[in-house]
Amino acid sequence: MTGRKIKNSVMGVLVAASAVLLIAVLAVIVWHIFISGVKYLNWNFFTKAPTPMGESGGGVFNAIVGTFLITLVAAAIGTPFGMFAGIYVAEHRGLRFADIVRLGADALQGVPSIVIGIFGYTFLVARFRSYSALSASVALAFMFVPTTARVTEEVLNLVPSGLKEAAYALGARRSSVVWNVGIKTAAAGITSGLLTSMARIAGETAPLLFTAFGSRYVEWNMLRPMSALPLQIYIYASSPYPALQQQAWSAAFVLVLLILLLQYGAKHLIARVLRVKA
Amino acid sequence: MAAQPSRSDRRELVRERAFTAAGVTAAVALVTTIVLFLLELFVTSRSSRAAFGWSFLWHSEWNPVTEKFGALPMIVGTLVTGFGALLISTPFALGIAIFLADYAGKKVSEPVKYLISLLGGLPSVIFGLWGLFVLVPLVSKFEVWFGKLVGSEALVASGTTGVGLLAAILLLAIMILPFSASLILESLLVVPTELKEGALALGATKWDTIQNVELPYVRKSTVGALVLSLGRALGETMAVTMVIGNGMKMPRSLFDPANTLASAIANQFLEATSPVYIASLIQLGLILFVISIIINIAARIILRRGVQQ
Repeated sequence: MTGRKIKNSVMGVLVAASAVLLIAVLAVIVWHIFISGVKYLNWNFFTKAPTPMGESGGGVFNAIVGTFLITLVAAAIGTPFGMFAGIYVAEHRGLRFADIVRLGADALQGVPSIVIGIFGYTFLVARFRSYSALSASVALAFMFVPTTARVTEEVLNLVPSGLKEAAYALGARRSSVVWNVGIKTAAAGITSGLLTSMARIAGETAPLLFTAFGSRYVEWNMLRPMSALPLQIYIYASSPYPALQQQAWSAAFVLVLLILLLQYGAKHLIARVLRVKA
Repeated sequence: MAAQPSRSDRRELVRERAFTAAGVTAAVALVTTIVLFLLELFVTSRSSRAAFGWSFLWHSEWNPVTEKFGALPMIVGTLVTGFGALLISTPFALGIAIFLADYAGKKVSEPVKYLISLLGGLPSVIFGLWGLFVLVPLVSKFEVWFGKLVGSEALVASGTTGVGLLAAILLLAIMILPFSASLILESLLVVPTELKEGALALGATKWDTIQNVELPYVRKSTVGALVLSLGRALGETMAVTMVIGNGMKMPRSLFDPANTLASAIANQFLEATSPVYIASLIQLGLILFVISIIINIAARIILRRGVQQ
């Protein structure tokens, strides 16, 4: 064998090995979350709030409620902004301002989550002098808008221009073309994008630290401090008590399950879109 | 034809205007957000600038008791962890991307791609939890072993908790791997098949083709992908916060506890009581914000040029 051929085989093995390594790392992490997570799981864990310091038992029902409320409200605030910004960029391709908006969305996606958190604090919490779940939702909405805008734009660009042109030829206005042809054709894709963005913000901790702040009680009022799963995981993991650290693993297990569910839903929808296109 | 617009026509016109207005409003709001962030952080951190001026950037004392704040230890911590993670993960990211683009068949590449997106979708705090309870003890063992190897009594005696720069670098390397691998893969997939087939037809081996045709073709977009990954690593918060050890002094070795800009804010913001302390932490956030905006815009421009070429 010549040197070239030896090199060829060696590099082939190396690139395959790096893929194997990545899968191994993922497997180790998931395995730890599963093994350590299921140990403490029981019915109380899902239905009870944390017990007072020193007492055993208790659960993370407060955090589960918080994650759902904060994420849903953030998505409700962010969806119209994100979708319309995406529609704007898709409908004004080539326009300089549309390019700037797209670049702005990309730049916002890269803003570190702790900066979003500190902005949420100075902009809302410090102004209204109270930690609240609503300020957390607004902070998360700032992460939700750019991803939604980009996904909406990308999915709208996939809609065959023939369809839109046919609608224009029938005398339809732009709003009705975008709405009845664009959005309806791309509905599954956009929903999938919304679910992916929700999966992303549901796992965020840093924007909640100085906004939602956390609470030991099951809280339904968005104007009061509230817990959330990622926040609870962080607080429990940093605590010196083994019982709480165990609960952190279980909460992590629940959070990963929730995120996987959202992502599975998103993937399923995408598969349907691709089938329709083909 | 109709001289008088009918009622449904007028309603359609209103809807059309509302629709356009909504699009423009959302687009303007999105761009304004960046300016709003900049202004808000700038205004709320002004008392820190009034006290320390530009020297904030190169003073290495961060002392809440005497209220002297210099960001250099955090800036160093951010750069060391960011570039360290990038250095470790890049070869693997390239390997994974090349494997998926050129070696794996569809039956292998599809599930692997799914696993990559899975790893990339795990929340930062989960990596932090795993890092704190699994990775940090391993790093601690390594520190003890390494301390004995080089015969450093100090290392064996003191700095062996495992938390510190090294743990943060390793965890960050894992976290940015799926991100950079999938970005590089995207650019590898657009290399024209004719170019590859041409090289193969001339008797080049598969690796010759990759090395001399594909990689040069995607050079620019790979750089763009790596810059984006660096941006991620520099701003990553929770996972780093949980394993870096909240050290306020300038780190002298990779085993030292330290802080990044992001982790300092996460660790200390709720404890900060004096206005100057709070403003200084917000100032760290402002520095981080400006760095991340610059890096992201630069990376996008590089990526766009890479595609056009």
